[in-house]
Amino acid sequence: MTQLALIVLIPFIGALLPSWALTAGRLWSAWVTGGVVVSALALLVAPAWAVMQGETLLWQLDWLPALGLSLGFRLDGLALLFALMILVIGLLVILYARWYLAERDPMGRFYAYLLLFMGSMLGLVMSENLIQLLMFWELTSISSFLLISYWRQREDARRGARMALAITGGGGLALLGGILLLGEIVGSYDLSTVLAAREIIHAHPLYLPALVLILLGIFTKSAQFPFHFWLPHAMAAPTPVSAYLHSATMVKAGVFLLARLFPALSGSEAWTWLVAPTGMATLLIGAYTALFKHDLKGLLAYSTISHLGLITLLFGIGSPLAAVAGLFHIMNHATFKASLFMAAGIIDHEAGTRDMRRLAGLWRFMPQTGLLAMIAAAAMAGVPLLNGFLSKEMFFEKTVYMATFEESTWLLPVLATIAGALAVAYSLRFIHDVFFNGTPTDLPRTPHEPVRWMRVPVEILVVICIAVGIFPSLTFGPLLAVAAGATLQAPLPAYSLKVWHGFTPALGMSMLALSGGALIYAIRRPLFRWHERTLGQLDARWLYEVWERALLQGSRVLDHLIHRRSLQDMLAVLIIAAAAMLLLGFWGMPLTGSATLTPLDPVSAAAAFCLAVGALGTVVLHRQRWTALVMLSVVGLIIALAFVKFSAPDLALTQLAVEMVTIILLLLALHFLPAETPRESSLARKLRDLLLALLGGGLTTVLTWAVLTRPYDSISDWLLRNSVPGGGGSNVVNVILVDFRGFDTLGEITVLAIAAIGIYMMLRDLRLEAPRADAQGRPWSSDAHPLILATFSRLLLPLALMVAVFILLRGHHLPGGGFIAGLIIAVALVMQYLANGVLWTQTRLSGELHPLIGLGLLLATATGLGSWYFGAPFLTSAHGHWSVPILGEIELASAMLFDIGVMLVVIGITLVILIRLGRIGLMQRRAPISNSDPKP
Amino acid sequence: MDLLMESLIAVLILIGAAFTCLGSIGLVRLRDFYERLHTPTKATTLGVGSLLIASAIFFSWTMPGISLHEVLVAVFLFITAPVSAHLMAKAALHLRERGETGLPPETTLQRHDGSGRLSEDKDGNQDGNAADSG
Repeated sequence: MTQLALIVLIPFIGALLPSWALTAGRLWSAWVTGGVVVSALALLVAPAWAVMQGETLLWQLDWLPALGLSLGFRLDGLALLFALMILVIGLLVILYARWYLAERDPMGRFYAYLLLFMGSMLGLVMSENLIQLLMFWELTSISSFLLISYWRQREDARRGARMALAITGGGGLALLGGILLLGEIVGSYDLSTVLAAREIIHAHPLYLPALVLILLGIFTKSAQFPFHFWLPHAMAAPTPVSAYLHSATMVKAGVFLLARLFPALSGSEAWTWLVAPTGMATLLIGAYTALFKHDLKGLLAYSTISHLGLITLLFGIGSPLAAVAGLFHIMNHATFKASLFMAAGIIDHEAGTRDMRRLAGLWRFMPQTGLLAMIAAAAMAGVPLLNGFLSKEMFFEKTVYMATFEESTWLLPVLATIAGALAVAYSLRFIHDVFFNGTPTDLPRTPHEPVRWMRVPVEILVVICIAVGIFPSLTFGPLLAVAAGATLQAPLPAYSLKVWHGFTPALGMSMLALSGGALIYAIRRPLFRWHERTLGQLDARWLYEVWERALLQGSRVLDHLIHRRSLQDMLAVLIIAAAAMLLLGFWGMPLTGSATLTPLDPVSAAAAFCLAVGALGTVVLHRQRWTALVMLSVVGLIIALAFVKFSAPDLALTQLAVEMVTIILLLLALHFLPAETPRESSLARKLRDLLLALLGGGLTTVLTWAVLTRPYDSISDWLLRNSVPGGGGSNVVNVILVDFRGFDTLGEITVLAIAAIGIYMMLRDLRLEAPRADAQGRPWSSDAHPLILATFSRLLLPLALMVAVFILLRGHHLPGGGFIAGLIIAVALVMQYLANGVLWTQTRLSGELHPLIGLGLLLATATGLGSWYFGAPFLTSAHGHWSVPILGEIELASAMLFDIGVMLVVIGITLVILIRLGRIGLMQRRAPISNSDPKP
Repeated sequence: MDLLMESLIAVLILIGAAFTCLGSIGLVRLRDFYERLHTPTKATTLGVGSLLIASAIFFSWTMPGISLHEVLVAVFLFITAPVSAHLMAKAALHLRERGETGLPPETTLQRHDGSGRLSEDKDGNQDGNAADSG
């Protein structure tokens, strides 16, 4: 059943295509995106068939078994229902968006985000593992953020997206906590196990906290009261996004999880009292607010909130039949709400406004769209013979059932009828205010019917609405049955999908709601005035903004307390903290261990003395930067010598090469700084720093002394023994780098590459005023590239390259390796820039050098991946002997390729940084020079 | 044979060390910049050169094959030493560094300033300048 994984993967991979296809035209981009979705749908056919026969398909792969995390996909009725909704409505939205988006909107980006979102949703509904489900949950939050902020030049879009991300992201955090608790209770994160562990979960003391946390996640995602306010603000998104996110997908993720965990969590007092009232409140508040929204999409947004409340309420009631009704309403709501959003988008697109106070009488201009919108709105209102009627009647029936069941709940049917009436009223308003109600005045443009293809998605959805409304059991019936079976994890209760149930209380409630709604709409004018004066003043966003401001303010204060605006101060805190911990932790321990001391030889002592002088000199002379630089290189050289002394030639070579690069780097940087630093520190500050330095240095010395005088076992023996048999090289340092700890090296060069890209971008547009003379006011020599230097450095290049290759090749057995070779090549090339000038070198070393970094990373990673081909773990190295003409017998390890990757990364990084830095002044200086003759 | 080889190597090392030492003493003792310019070059060519020969003989003798690394080292030295000396001299001239007998002749200074130079590249790159003033 790898198909299941593929179905989820396809949209993610496909997300790369739309932008690329855009080069062939906008229609192509839409076609390709549609093709991606169709291929996912095609893959779904066979599994769907099996699911319809009552099977539950599972596909699993161990990922991090130790953490209870396995990669698993599950397709049962519920997942199938959602997957179909996601894909089919997604396909319609793609078609619709092709005509909706304006010429200037970047279409590739839109489709890429849409596919990312689709993949996240599919992964969410098909996850078998709860942690994996949560990952996809977060992915939907992120990708919906991208979609909502698609028009990123608009402030409201950015704010709406941020709000949605903050609310759903916060909910996701709560959900993570809840799922971890749930996993702890059950002992497994596998959905199959969790769903079967109802008794264990309910009996556990942690049930309530887990339930509350999970519900928080669900309520934020599904825009339940009091977290509902993000949804209307998300309407700043393009209408196709709203049609997709707020009908079938994003907000349905919450109710999906409600249905998914229904068998495990429902049936307790806590469940009923937490879920049902929330749903009821959302239902009423949403329906009420929708009536008073003047924006078409605002109305639809609040009606979405209200319908989500209805679904939540149904699940909150907790009986199996209510759950079936909830599922049915999920399907129906998705169809009519998607079509309504699209219709609203068409109106906006063709009339230029969504404000119902300006829109009127559009029936004359767009009768076909009007008809479609009318049918969809009627379905939303619950008019008989349309799908909305059926599920709404099931809902009314459940509330009546609850009322007969328990005396105190008589309120339920009353409130449900009121909400129904409000829904009828706002649906009426949607139609009457827009399509009738006089003639339009001052519309931005003359409305007309949209492009044929823009209406097709709406037509399809409306046909579904009607078909389901008339023949429910023939259309949604089978799917509903398997979905309900998967939701309940139990035999289905008896229910009948029929239009006519006879004269039941529910029918009475429906009629009451229809007539009540008409009445409310009739008296809307006084109602509007009353609303403006009273409840209209309230806005839940206000609460959010207060919170947001408080949080930001709080973090600012905290930041002010902890974070000093000076590197020196931060370092001081760090050193004092480290010193305090050391002193606290090791106080009273004997300083010297039992190991015998090595006798001191005079050469080492002299070197150490020079080291100390060099370090001291750097500090004392730091205001004369050039001199300090010389002092600093003394330190570097002596460290290199120390490496030689302690038998680490590799490190010594590296240190030397790094010294060279550092000197060049510092010279380039110092060029832009004054040669002398002004006095900045007060005496007190200097004393403090001196004290800190002594403290830090002293403690490091003590610590080193304490460690080195104690006998200890390190892993070096193991490494020495296994270097040749395990890594095929006798240079242990290199074998460690490319083999034993190859993964570390890969991580390090990746970090290095990221840093280099950062530096590259930062230096790219930097312009600095290069000084025209040195500190004493002497002008630079006009002879920038002395002939002798230029000639000889050209001569040196091939020699240096030869040395680099030599060092690379022998690296596995003798001191050397890719890192050092890379540095040598970089230095040799930088020499050319220094000696011959950037322009001269550029003509010969054309092209940008930063692709080298990526190439090196790819090579190193590919070497690691290559071992998979042979069935070995990542980065296993192979080695063997080859006889090569001229060079003779050599031993090559696959690690050599890895080493070459490292080398390329190092070359790329060093050159990119140095050359960028070198060019800063060049670009700046060349301009004035062309105006005036530099020579006397 | 052993003794002969060993004494040969020892002599070469001693010569090398002596020249390196002389170079260092010269750096301290000589009077002005232009004179001091000579000493490090002697130390690198003769001093390090002898040491390299000693090394080549030793490793060719004790190890299988002939040791040729030293040749490469010598090549690098011979290329870099004159270049660095030249650059330092140029810098000194540019900065009008005074010697023991006053400034160098005016013609030298003017020649240095570029009037007699091939106008091959006027990249105006600051890199070379940075090296000059360093």
